[in-house]
Amino acid sequence: MQEFVDRQLYKRYVSVIAHCDREGKVMPLVIEWENQKKYRIDRILEIRPAASQVGGGGILYRVRIGSQERRLFYENYRWFIESYTP
Amino acid sequence: MKERWILHADIDHCYAQIHEMLYPDLRKVPMAVGGHEEMRHGIILAKNDLAKQYGIKTAESLREAYEKLPSLLIIHPLYPLYITYTEKVKDIYREYTDRVESFGLDEAWADLTPSLTLFGASATDLAKHIQNRVYKEMGLTVSLGLSFNKVFAKLGSDQRKPHGFYRMTKQDYPETVWPLPVEDLLFVGRATKEKLRYYGITTIGQLARRERSYLKKLFGKNGETLWFFANGMDVTEVASGPRREVIKSVGNGITTPADINTFDEAREVFLVLCESVATRLRENGLAGQVVSVMLRGSDLAYIGRQRKLSRPTDLATEILEMVMILTRENWRQESPLRSIGVTISSLKPALSYRQSDLFTDERAREKEVRLEQVIDRIRSKYGYDAIKRLGLLECPHLTNFNPLAEHVIHPESWY
Repeated sequence: MQEFVDRQLYKRYVSVIAHCDREGKVMPLVIEWENQKKYRIDRILEIRPAASQVGGGGILYRVRIGSQERRLFYENYRWFIESYTP
Repeated sequence: MKERWILHADIDHCYAQIHEMLYPDLRKVPMAVGGHEEMRHGIILAKNDLAKQYGIKTAESLREAYEKLPSLLIIHPLYPLYITYTEKVKDIYREYTDRVESFGLDEAWADLTPSLTLFGASATDLAKHIQNRVYKEMGLTVSLGLSFNKVFAKLGSDQRKPHGFYRMTKQDYPETVWPLPVEDLLFVGRATKEKLRYYGITTIGQLARRERSYLKKLFGKNGETLWFFANGMDVTEVASGPRREVIKSVGNGITTPADINTFDEAREVFLVLCESVATRLRENGLAGQVVSVMLRGSDLAYIGRQRKLSRPTDLATEILEMVMILTRENWRQESPLRSIGVTISSLKPALSYRQSDLFTDERAREKEVRLEQVIDRIRSKYGYDAIKRLGLLECPHLTNFNPLAEHVIHPESWY
């Protein structure tokens, strides 16, 4: 489970714009950060149920934003990200 | 018969671990899940590893725990959370077999026998795979027992903790099960353990090698059951899906926020409990004939008494009448009451007609029946607090609870 152990991570709940298709499949498109900044998700690398090292868990979306990879979780109707900033 | 492979999985110190999983920092401090001291539900329900090192024990009072470790962090239980996460864990088990039987929130049996060919794996591999998945997907560790019957499987999940695995087969159980202490066996509680020790039985093997008839003589039917268990002769199947058992009794009890000092106060609390019992009887279309009361004083002395009614009933007032007779006969008011309970058993289907009775005013009774039915209807439509008996306003600090809604969470009975 410990896939990113080099740096301290924080649990940050975030707003997400997502696409929900007719089958009920949910795809996150944009992550909205606190300062109104929006980050477009360029690619979803993997979707699977997983626990998070920052606590909790749910459906893990491994996403690529620009050149960065992030772990975004859909946890009981809320989204959170394993963030490098508190 | 083909050898069965039954898995018993137990989420390690369940409630505490769920909190740790959600907030990993809780792993760094001694922490326990416990009731509300001010509501006097003050016992430890689960504790984490650090708390265990300080000698904190499950089921001891918060006061005892604080004495051992004043800085102990107590988290109040959040049952909806536990239900959500334990159900998700069980959903993982359900991906491997349709036979998953819950035993309380945190424990379950799963019959892997038919799944082995489907998944093309050995039972051990499949069990460890499931354990691994729960850890990766839920962040929770479970301990497993794998054996050819449910009793041994349950025993096995207690042997290695946390994240443990213990396997017992038909060939090796004299080596793997018999040396274990007898209290590890299902249904051997403290009292049975002491009694067995008195007769020189301390391990499961010693129990298994005694004569069956000898145990029957000592403990009755239960002694015989224990002998079967110790010899691995438990053949009960893992129930598929949720278990719908035949209801044998309906009961409610409460530890009140303040002590009960008088018969009038006891009567009020019992009225709330009897109303709940009666409503549950009616929901299930049942009527009961044997009324039992449970009285526990503030000195923790326990009195349990029961008596048969002349006819089955599903009316709160009739149950209450018998409850108060029993209470008046048995509570000598030497010490105030701390918790009380009422149970009705010897249940039969409620009939729409009934034999009239020379000594009962049937017209008044008919009125009472309609009254209680109306209360049920009002409550189901507008909520529990929408209607209450006026008398209950006398001591609201004792009667301000809803036994119908508060969750009853405990392992089901075996039989």
